[in-house]
Amino acid sequence: MITSLMDLVNNTDHLPVVPLMGFPGIQITQTSLKQNEFNWGTQFWTLSELAHHFQPDGLFTFMDLSVEANALGLPVRFPLGESPTIEYPVVRTQDDLHRFYKMDVLADGRVRVFIETMKLMKRHLKLWRGGYVIGPYTLAALMMGATETAIAIIDNPDLLHETLTFTTYVISRYANALASAGADMIAILDPSAVMLSPKQYRAFSGQYTRQIILQMKALPILHICGHATHLIDEMVATETQGLSLDAMVPLDEIAARVPENVVLIGNINPTAVMVDRSPQEVYKRTTELVQAMKPFRNFILSTGCDLPPETPLANIKAFMDAGRDVELHVDPAQHIRPNMTLFNEQPAWLRARIARNIEDVLAR
Amino acid sequence: MALLDEIQQAVIEGQSKAVVSNVEQALNEDMAADIILNDGLIKAMSEVGRLFEEGEFFVPEMLIAARAMSAGLDLLKPHLVAQGIEPIGKIAIGTVKGDLHDIGKSLVAMMLEGAGFEIMDLGVDVAPEKFVEAVTNGAQIVAMSALLTTTMPNMKATIEAVEKAGLRDKAAIMVGGAPVTQAYADDIGADGYSSDASSAVRKAKELLGV
Repeated sequence: MITSLMDLVNNTDHLPVVPLMGFPGIQITQTSLKQNEFNWGTQFWTLSELAHHFQPDGLFTFMDLSVEANALGLPVRFPLGESPTIEYPVVRTQDDLHRFYKMDVLADGRVRVFIETMKLMKRHLKLWRGGYVIGPYTLAALMMGATETAIAIIDNPDLLHETLTFTTYVISRYANALASAGADMIAILDPSAVMLSPKQYRAFSGQYTRQIILQMKALPILHICGHATHLIDEMVATETQGLSLDAMVPLDEIAARVPENVVLIGNINPTAVMVDRSPQEVYKRTTELVQAMKPFRNFILSTGCDLPPETPLANIKAFMDAGRDVELHVDPAQHIRPNMTLFNEQPAWLRARIARNIEDVLAR
Repeated sequence: MALLDEIQQAVIEGQSKAVVSNVEQALNEDMAADIILNDGLIKAMSEVGRLFEEGEFFVPEMLIAARAMSAGLDLLKPHLVAQGIEPIGKIAIGTVKGDLHDIGKSLVAMMLEGAGFEIMDLGVDVAPEKFVEAVTNGAQIVAMSALLTTTMPNMKATIEAVEKAGLRDKAAIMVGGAPVTQAYADDIGADGYSSDASSAVRKAKELLGV
């Protein structure tokens, strides 16, 4: 019986490989980011194509830091080809914050997209299923403004603590809804926390993240992108079972510092390597990382952060080949097309939803 | 001088009220505005930059120090103008079109102002034409930031817009932001790249030779 992320890794007879990929799948399904973010049929189809073509050990849903904020009613911009962004903060006072207490995020349309996508993943995909939730400090920063939140640490800690108590409650509910829908693991994304000192992190993110983790009914992973090396000890103190770290963190050095049952996840550079380099270079860099991490059992090979939509599919293939320790196969003529067998196995309601997209793709 | 030391300390500790009252006192004691600026405010921000690089200060401390410096600078501005003191350079800064993430940009702007530059803060989601307009209005450096890989291409679009307007030799261009690298900056033809607010000040000074 799997009781921890380390158990899951120990029960695997090979190095687990889980690139953080959702966006690049739009190249296969010829859909827009917005279509995947608003339509669970489309998002599931995109994810299932990625699962089929790359055969990772695990797959996360699309990464989207606007889901909870949007569900609360913050102003959000949804470009067709870019990640959604919160347009401006709305919490300056306690009264402003209290106006959000009445919102049930689980009754929101976009939250439902991710829950339904997870249910489809549970029903149809045989791999580890990963969901994302935002971190408590990052959600507070969206509500109050990034600059204002950082200043509030010193100037207005009471308001910030009240906001963090609220964001912790919201995130915990969403995380457990994803767990009930079938998520094996949930990564808590707290990028804004990277700018804090270890002490500030503990007081204004770590202690709240720990509450989410202790209540989480799925395996918890903590992801802070960027230069998070100075926060590692405090991140471990949240009792997370996995640390998902970016390219600038020296994973092999960190491995010596963290407990053996905390799984390190990462950390090929998602842009400078996975987008900008050739498949041969991706293969080489990934192989080097795999070799460096060979002494450590508590490791899942992944990317340092979510892959951008324009990541060459051949590079993802090269990453997987290196992780599987097979020779690199680069076929310049390869054109990944949707798998019609997989499509035909879907229920009628889903096929009807994506049929128009299939016609367009087949016409190319 | 004790009062200048107090001004420095108040900036470093982010004590805006103390900075304002100490600057007022210095002005009342007929201390020259440029002395207060250089030996009080700018020296303090230089120390803040050092503390950040040493890993003692983080973004919250830098922000309140910059806020305190700004409060002091506001008091000094009319006196500096009267004295004929010019800023060491003029920099237009903003996040590129499509990008709304501004904390890094704001921090760099504050650090540059704290180093003696005049800042044209164009805000967020800044179209290439607005950066071009800033060069027309005298900006000697265009500083762009992006947090998203999907908005980074607008850095190159801005450089091309500046070239097309025939203004490429009028302003140096520097870039930054989490997904941006030196290699990317070189690829797109930027003149400089910095990875944080503190090194951005050094790069800006290097680009203008000040």
